[in-house]
Amino acid sequence: MEQILHNLVIGFGVAVTPIHLLYALIGCLLGTLIGVLPGIGPVATIAMLLPITFNLSPVAALIMLAGIYYGAQYGGSTTAILVNIPGESSSVVTCLDGYQMARQGRAGPALAVAALGSFFAGCVATLLIAVAAPPLAEVALKFGPAEYFSLMVFGLIAATVLAHGSLIKAIAMVVWGLLFGLVGTDVNSGVLRFTFGVPELSDGIGFVIVAMGMFGTAEIVANIEMKEHREIFTSKVKNLWPTKDDFKNCWASVLRGTALGSCLGILPGGGALLASFGAYSLEKKVSKHPEKFGKGAIEGVAAPESANNAGAQTSFIPMLTLGIPSNAVMALMIGALMIQGIAPGPQVMNEKPELFWGLIASMWVGNLMLVVLNLPLIGMWVKLLTVPYRYLYPSILVFMAIGVYSLSNNPFDVLIMGVFGVLGYICAKLECEPAPMILGFILGPLMEENLRRAMLLSRGDPTVFFTKPISAGFMIASIILLVIVALPAIRKKREEVFVEEG
Amino acid sequence: MVPYASGGPVDLSARLIAAPLQQGLGQPVVVENKPGAGGNIGAEFVAKSAPDGYTLVMGAIATHAINPALYPKFPYDPVRDFRHIALLVQVPNVLVVNTDVAARSVADLIRLAKAQPGRLDFASGSTGSTGHLAGELFKQLTGTYMVHIPYKGAAPAMSDLIAGRVQLMFDNLASALPHIQAGKVRALAVTTARRSTFLPDLPTLEEAGVRPFDLTTWWGLMAPAGTPQSIVDRLAAAARRALQAPELRERWRAMGSEPPAITTPAEFTAFVERERQLYAVLVKRAGATID
Repeated sequence: MEQILHNLVIGFGVAVTPIHLLYALIGCLLGTLIGVLPGIGPVATIAMLLPITFNLSPVAALIMLAGIYYGAQYGGSTTAILVNIPGESSSVVTCLDGYQMARQGRAGPALAVAALGSFFAGCVATLLIAVAAPPLAEVALKFGPAEYFSLMVFGLIAATVLAHGSLIKAIAMVVWGLLFGLVGTDVNSGVLRFTFGVPELSDGIGFVIVAMGMFGTAEIVANIEMKEHREIFTSKVKNLWPTKDDFKNCWASVLRGTALGSCLGILPGGGALLASFGAYSLEKKVSKHPEKFGKGAIEGVAAPESANNAGAQTSFIPMLTLGIPSNAVMALMIGALMIQGIAPGPQVMNEKPELFWGLIASMWVGNLMLVVLNLPLIGMWVKLLTVPYRYLYPSILVFMAIGVYSLSNNPFDVLIMGVFGVLGYICAKLECEPAPMILGFILGPLMEENLRRAMLLSRGDPTVFFTKPISAGFMIASIILLVIVALPAIRKKREEVFVEEG
Repeated sequence: MVPYASGGPVDLSARLIAAPLQQGLGQPVVVENKPGAGGNIGAEFVAKSAPDGYTLVMGAIATHAINPALYPKFPYDPVRDFRHIALLVQVPNVLVVNTDVAARSVADLIRLAKAQPGRLDFASGSTGSTGHLAGELFKQLTGTYMVHIPYKGAAPAMSDLIAGRVQLMFDNLASALPHIQAGKVRALAVTTARRSTFLPDLPTLEEAGVRPFDLTTWWGLMAPAGTPQSIVDRLAAAARRALQAPELRERWRAMGSEPPAITTPAEFTAFVERERQLYAVLVKRAGATID
């Protein structure tokens, strides 16, 4: 314990020097900005800024880059709540209830809860890194292909509760997402699937493109249709701040979201993303009034926002302690370190304590900055909703097109976004939820990859999923969950509970 | 033009060399990414650009040696459709094993693989990567059989290697080095003909009797075919000067690259031609295609 305190003192000593505070601030500001702008993500931003960081000290460079990363997590929720466009992949779930809250004139509380929940999660996760990073990293290593596959099976089954309409439609959307996820190059054989000879499709369809099409474009089209209704949505902006009741309703959600996010964030490969979906499903399961989810439940914003921020912080653990990046952003950070002549890995903590602990302390400082930065901005963001649609929607569309184009400088991607916009609109008309589809789209390829890898490693023996303890645990949990969903009696109850409005 | 997404090593080196090139040429140098189809989209774009010396591509081992053998109906000719200006980066691969594998040398490993054919797994970043093809070449030259486990990128492959789910891997020296130094994996040999200055005690595969074995991951500046000789020479001279700057050398070393022995455009063209033939044979024998 004393050691940890000593380390944190070193860390804060580094983090609160004026120069490092400045870089943390720059990082947070940039991160918030790119988070708010749909399509422009932290990966591209960090990559473009990498050459600039060579002239900084390693600590300053890392503090700034980290600031961009978690700043983007904050900013992403803003667009999700206000205009139903997931600015970052992890804010897809925030769209579900956040946007509904905004429609009810409660954009302010939604934004405030997202910011405060994220701050709390960030603090807890930072503490977790400080206390238990090395042993946690060992846990991440325990996850092999078999474990991942089972975890994802569990996630996918749990996801059926994401939908608040018909179960059949939710399953259909998941399957649809799985199929879209198959487009591209097969990892095992290198064979191109469903690309129809279009080279642009050989790397698969980008997640951001699908999410922006299904949520953003479709939402805009659907709104143009509702001529009379949409005026109401801006006029009934009520309070900017969450009420006492809101806090009472969501503090437990923030705790659960933080816990789940911290665990899943450690796992390499989409951990943080799974965390936000998982946290939402969990909230809906434990909630006393699951019928409110999807219609502006504050818990549905608080939990996934806490989870994705906690996950974003803990995803630093494998990078810092093992030198293994858990996502593209972490890979870039490793690149930044290597260019500075620092080999990332377990030795960093001992050889460069000021770097390791400085970064951790700066995460806490950065989170504080983001809250200070974002809370006063809430009023301004909400005002944005009063901008007439004839100005707001075209500009959103333009930003989305620029963002999608900038992903790979290819107009083809913008076209694909349009296609998914049309699909999203049709789905909205058919009352099919896009969220299960997005989850299927993300998990499908990962599941396939891990299933086949696990089978390759076991030489075709499917029992590995049940003989490895962690994997078996997830499998058993999945089966139990499936039985609960499938049992006719419970199913009837489910339909009562999840019945659509009107 | 970088035919890969921003953030990878090719992109990184392009951004690093842009500044000194800009000074040397007295012209702004802009780095643009056009990823897709394993780099083919960006490379094809440049192959069909105006040959005025203003549009260059970071042509790599994938776009100019492996992919042409991998993809049927390839959209460009890596030798004839380009002027090869300067080889910028050459990084060896290194054979690493999990620390629990009972092999302290390449000879041990071959013995182990022969004793239990088909039991060892080798990981790679993707099908058709240098790591995959190095493994296939190793199998052919040693008459062993190991199962190839492709991953999506070298990082998750390394993670499973450290955890012991796979036994070996031919990883890029730059990304493997920290793990070797930390003792998380054991290095057995480098894939180049000469030893690496980063790990001078590590033998080459050829020294261990596995020959001919000389694989590196490389990339360099290329222009569309038809670019005038004077422009090619000027760009090549600027690139050479940029590479000699001590600051850039240091950054290059951090990426695991030693200064390439090839320094003229003509040598570079010959090198690309050689590499293309080598991988055409290798890919064919490995039975890998993308259709």
